[in-house]
Amino acid sequence: MLPAPSMQETQTIESPSIPSRSSTSTQDRSSTAGQTSSTAPQPSKPTPIIPPLAKSTGPGSGSVVRRMRRIIAEDAEWSLAIVPLLTELCIQHIVKNFQNNPILKQLLPEHQKKVLNHLSPDLPLAVTANLIDDESYWRRCCTQRWPVCHVDNHGGSWKRMFFELHLENLLKHFIPNTTDPAVILNLLPLCRNYVRAIRVDQFLPPVQLPAPPRGGDQSDSGSEGEMEEPAMDHYQLDNLVAGLSHLEELDLVYGVKDCGMNFEWNLFLFTYRDCHSLAATVKACHTLKIFRLTRSKVDDDKARILIRSLLDHPALEELDLSHNLIGDRGARAAAKLLSHSRLRVLNLANNQVRAPGAHSLAHALGHNSNLISLNLRLNCIEDEGGQALAHALHTNKCLTTLHLGGNELSEPTATLLSQVLTINTTLTSINLSCNHIGLDGGKQLLEGMSDNKTLLEFDLRLSDIAQESEYLIGQALCANREAARQRALNPSHLMSPVTAKGPESPVG
Amino acid sequence: MNPPGSLGVLEEKEEEHLATPILGPSVHSDNPQERIQARRLRIAARLEARRREALGEYLDGKKESEEDQSKSYKQKEESRLKLAKLLLCGTELVTNIQVAADIREIHRRIEEEEIKRQRLEKLENEVKTSQDKFDEITIKWEEGKQRRIPQELWEMLNAQQVHCAGLIEDKNKLISELQQELKMKDDQYVKDLKKQSDDICLLLERMEEQVKNVMKTFRQELQNIEKAFEVERQELLTSNKKKWERALQAHNAKELEYLMNRIKKVEDYEKQLNKQRVWDCEEYNTIKIKLEQDVQILEQQLQQMKATYQLNQEKLEYNFQVLKKRDEESTVIKSQQKRKINRLHDVLNNLRSKYNKQVKQFQEENQSLTLDYKRLVLQFKELQKAMRHFALIDDKQFREIWLMNEEEAKDLINRAFDVDRIINTHHLGLPWMAPNFWFLKNVGPISQRQQKSTTQILEEVLMEAEEEGADQDSSESESYLDLPKQVSARTTRKILMLLCDESGFLIESKLLSLLLPLERSECYLLRLDAVFSALGIENEDDLYKLVNFFLKYQTHHSPSSQEPLDLRAEKEGSLVDGKSQEKEPPPSPKLIHPNDVLKILEAFVMGLRKPRDFWVPVKLLKVVRDDSKDSEYWEALTTVIPATTQNLWDALYTALEKYHLVLTQRAELLIENDSLERQNTELQQLLQQYLDTKINSELQVPPTQVFRVPTK
Repeated sequence: MLPAPSMQETQTIESPSIPSRSSTSTQDRSSTAGQTSSTAPQPSKPTPIIPPLAKSTGPGSGSVVRRMRRIIAEDAEWSLAIVPLLTELCIQHIVKNFQNNPILKQLLPEHQKKVLNHLSPDLPLAVTANLIDDESYWRRCCTQRWPVCHVDNHGGSWKRMFFELHLENLLKHFIPNTTDPAVILNLLPLCRNYVRAIRVDQFLPPVQLPAPPRGGDQSDSGSEGEMEEPAMDHYQLDNLVAGLSHLEELDLVYGVKDCGMNFEWNLFLFTYRDCHSLAATVKACHTLKIFRLTRSKVDDDKARILIRSLLDHPALEELDLSHNLIGDRGARAAAKLLSHSRLRVLNLANNQVRAPGAHSLAHALGHNSNLISLNLRLNCIEDEGGQALAHALHTNKCLTTLHLGGNELSEPTATLLSQVLTINTTLTSINLSCNHIGLDGGKQLLEGMSDNKTLLEFDLRLSDIAQESEYLIGQALCANREAARQRALNPSHLMSPVTAKGPESPVG
Repeated sequence: MNPPGSLGVLEEKEEEHLATPILGPSVHSDNPQERIQARRLRIAARLEARRREALGEYLDGKKESEEDQSKSYKQKEESRLKLAKLLLCGTELVTNIQVAADIREIHRRIEEEEIKRQRLEKLENEVKTSQDKFDEITIKWEEGKQRRIPQELWEMLNAQQVHCAGLIEDKNKLISELQQELKMKDDQYVKDLKKQSDDICLLLERMEEQVKNVMKTFRQELQNIEKAFEVERQELLTSNKKKWERALQAHNAKELEYLMNRIKKVEDYEKQLNKQRVWDCEEYNTIKIKLEQDVQILEQQLQQMKATYQLNQEKLEYNFQVLKKRDEESTVIKSQQKRKINRLHDVLNNLRSKYNKQVKQFQEENQSLTLDYKRLVLQFKELQKAMRHFALIDDKQFREIWLMNEEEAKDLINRAFDVDRIINTHHLGLPWMAPNFWFLKNVGPISQRQQKSTTQILEEVLMEAEEEGADQDSSESESYLDLPKQVSARTTRKILMLLCDESGFLIESKLLSLLLPLERSECYLLRLDAVFSALGIENEDDLYKLVNFFLKYQTHHSPSSQEPLDLRAEKEGSLVDGKSQEKEPPPSPKLIHPNDVLKILEAFVMGLRKPRDFWVPVKLLKVVRDDSKDSEYWEALTTVIPATTQNLWDALYTALEKYHLVLTQRAELLIENDSLERQNTELQQLLQQYLDTKINSELQVPPTQVFRVPTK
C-alpha cells in the first residue's frame, strides 16, 4: 500500500496530462463497473492520507486521485518486476552455463520448458544431441541455419530434420583425401538415433593438385583418364551407414552441382570402386527401405553389381535408378530382383531399356505379388516389350501404377492393353503419353475402358489419339473416380452408388 | 431419411386438414366420437404414408432427399466437381510441359540416332574411299621405285603429292565437317538449355498460376458454398418466420375469442353474484338471530361449566399434591432399590470371581491328582516288574539252593551208603545191596509240568498237522495228551489257518514283506505269532479258549443268529469259567465262513478284555509253587539209612571202640618200652664217655678204678 501513493504523487507532479487521461479511462471503468460501487466507497473513506492530497490538487480532482490510486494498487506487475523469483535466477544460470554443465532432465517439466526456450541454438551438438528432445529447440536450430525448412520431408520431426540436413551438408562438402573423415564419424554417435534418411545430390571428387598443368593433355589422352580413375573415388559411405541404426532412405547422386565453366567429365564419374563399396554398404544396411541412385551414369555392369547386392534384402521397398544408362542386362537384373525381394516401387525412368529388357521385366511381373508401381518412362521398349508387359498384366494382381510414357508404343500394344483393362481390377493409373498409339489404338483403348471400373488415371497425351476417344476415356475416368470416391465415403453402400452412376456416365 | 419423411407426413397432414375441414371430423371438436374418428383417420393416413415410403424405391427417396437438401448440397457437389476438374486440368497443364519435353527428347533421340547412323555410314564410306586412295598411292610408290628417269620420278612424286594432298584434304574436310557438326551440337545444346530453362520458367509460372488459380477458385467456391448456405438459411428463416407469424396470428385470434368469452362469462357471474349476495344477506340475518340465542344459552352453560371447573381444579390440585408426594417417595424407594441392586451386583461379582477361582483351583487339583495317579500307576507297574523280576530271581535262587542242598545231601547219602557197604562187606561179611528209592533219582525242585508258550504250541500244532498227512490217527492220540482236549488237531489247524488268512490286518506290513520269501509253514507260524500278540493271546489256555470260542460261536450262530447279545454274555461267562464248560462235538470247521472270522475275533477280544484285568494276580499266584512234598522229600532223604542198620552200627561202634581201646593201650606200652630201651642206651653211652676222658688219669683216684670194680 505504501509505494502506491508515492508513485501516484510523482505521476501527478511530473505530468499533469496523465491523470486526466487516466481519469477518462477510470471514468469509463467506473461507469462500466456500475453505480453501486461508486456509492459504496464514498461513505467509508479508508485512509486519512487522501484528504490532504485531494486538497493539494484541488477539490474537483479529489475523486479522480482516489480512483487512480485504486488502479495502481490493482496493478500487479510492479512488485513482480522488481524481484525475480529464485527459480528464474536459477534457470538463467543454468542457461548461461549449459555448455559446461547441462542440467535438464532433473528439472521440473515447466522449468525444462523455460530452459529450452532460452537456450541458444549455437550450443555444440555434443552437448545437445542426446540430451534435448524438445522439438521447439530443434525448430529454432533449423530455422536459424536454413531459410527454407520442409519438416514434412523428414517425418515431421525437427530434430531429425536438423541432423539429416546437417549430415547432408557435411557429405556434400566432403572432399576425399582433403577433408578429415573424422568430421563425419565424430557426428555419428550424436546422430545415429535420429537420422533416418540421407539425401545427397552431390559428391565432390578428390581435388587434384597437379590439375592445372595437366589440363592441356587431358583432353586428347583417354588412357590417362582411365589410369586416374582410382583417384576419382568419392566418399565411402560404409562406415557412416553401418553406424546409423535407423537408416531407411538413401538418395544419392554421384555428381557435382554448380560446376559452371569448370566442367569436366571426370567430375561425374561413378567409379567401380564407388559402386562396389556402395553395394556392400547397401547390403549391410538391413533397415533400408528406399534406395535411390539417380543421374549417376550407372551402366549395366554397375547396375548389376548394385542389384546383386540387393537380392533378398529384408526391408527394401523402393528402388529408383532413373536417369542412368541402364540397358537390357541391367533390366534383366532388376527383373531378377523383383522375384527375389519385396520391392514395391521400381523406377527405371530415362534409361536405355529395350525390348529384351522389357521382356524379362514382364516375365518377372507376371509372377510378382509385391510390386505396386513400375516406371519405364523414356525408355525404348517398343511394341514388342509393350506387348510382353500387357501379357504379364493378364496374370498380375498387384500392380497399380504403370508408366510407359515415351516408349515408342503403337497400336498392337494398345489392343492388348485394352484387353487387360477389361480384365484387370487393380490398375489405377496408366501413363501412355508420348507414344504413337494411333486412331485405331485409341478406339480400342476406349472399348477397353468402357468395361473398366477401377482405373482412375489414364494419360494419353500426345499419343496421336482422336480427340473424341480421348474425351470419352476422360469421361469414363471421371465416372470411375466418382465411384471410387463413393466407395471411400461409404463402403457399406458399395453397390447402390455404382448402379446409380451406371446409367449416368454414358449420358454425361 | 427421417426428417424429410416426417416433413412429408406433416405436409400430408396439413393437406388433409386443408382438404377435410368441412366434411371430415376435427380433432378439436367437442364431440368425443368425432374426435376418436379424427384420430383414427390420422393414424390411417400416417400408416399410408409410411407404407408409401417403404414401397417407394430407394432411388426416388434419394432423389427426393437430394431435392430437399437442395441448394447447399447442389452447390457443394457442383463446386467439388468444378474444383476436381480444375485440379485435373491444372495438373494436366503443368505436366503438359513435361510431356512436351519428353516427346521432344524422344524426337531428338530418334533424330540423333538417324544422324548417328548417317554419320557412321559416312565415316565408313569415307574410310573405304580413303583406303582405296591410299592403296592407289602405295601402289604408285612401288611403281615409283621402278622409275629410273629422274624427271618421270619427279612427275610421279608430284602426282603422289597431289594425291596425298587430296587425301589429306578429304580428311580435313571431314574433320571440319565433324567440327562443324560439333559446333552445331554445342549451339543446339545451348539452345536446348535455354529452351529447358524457358520450360522451367514456364513450369514455374504455370505452377504459380495454378496455385493462385486454385486458391482463388477454392475461395470463390467456398464463398459460393457459404452463400448457398446463407441463402438456404435465409430461406429457412423466412419460411420459419412465416410459419411463426401464421401461428402467432392464429394464436391472437384465439386469444381474442377467449377474451370475448371471458367477458361474457364475467358478466354472467356478476349477475349471479349479486343475486347470491341478496340471498346471503337474508340468510345471514336469520342465522345471526338464531346464533345470538344460542350464545346466550351457551353463556349460561359456560357459567355452570366454570363452576364445575373450579371445583375440579381444586380436586385436581389436591390430587396433584398427593401424587407429588408419592412420586417423591417412589424416587426414594427407587434409589434405595438401585443401591440394593448395586450391592447385589457386587456380591454377585464377588461370588462369580470366587467361583471361577474355585473352578481353577479344582482343576489344578484335579490335574495334580491325575498326575499323581499316573505317577503311582507307573510306580506300581515298575514295582510289579521288579516283583516279577525278583520272583524269577527267587525262583532261580531257590532252584540253585535246592540243587546245592540236594547235592550235599546226596553226597552224604552216598558216603553213608559207602560206609554201610564197607561195614557190611568188610566188618560183617554180609553182601550189600544198594537201596533204590524214587527220590534218589530226583534232580532239581519238585514241580508240575511247565506251561507251554503259544508259539511252541503253534509250532507243535503245525508240525502235527504236517505229520498228519503221513499217519493220520496214530499221532493224534499223542499230540495233546497233557491237556484236556476236545478239539482235534486238524480243526485247530484249520481254524488257525483261517485266522491267519483273515486277520492279515493285524500283522505289520513290514513283517509281511519279510515273510514273503519264507516257507509256508514258517510263514504261518510267524503270522500267527504276530496275530496273537496283537490279540493279546499269550499262553496255551488263551489259544484253546480261542479255538473253543470259534467252535462255540459257530455252533451258536449256525442255527440262529437272532440273539447275539445274550449269546455273547453267555460266552463271556463261559470264557471266564474256563474250559470246564461242556463242549459239544467239534463240528466241521468248513462251516465257519471266512466273513464271520472278524466278528468272532471282535467278540473274542471283547470277551478277553474283561478276564485279562483280574488275570494279573492269578498269574502271580500261579508262580507260588506248593512245597508240601518238599518236606517229605527231605525227610525221605534223611531216612535213607534204616533204623536197624543204625542199631547195628551202634553196636558195632561200641565193640569197635573197645577194640580200639585195647589197641591203644597196647600201642602205649609199646611206645613206653621203646623209650626205656632208648634211655638205657643213652646212659651207657654217657658212662663210656666219662670213662674215656683224660681227667681220670690225672686223678689220684680214678673213678674208673672205682667203677671198674663194680662195672667189672
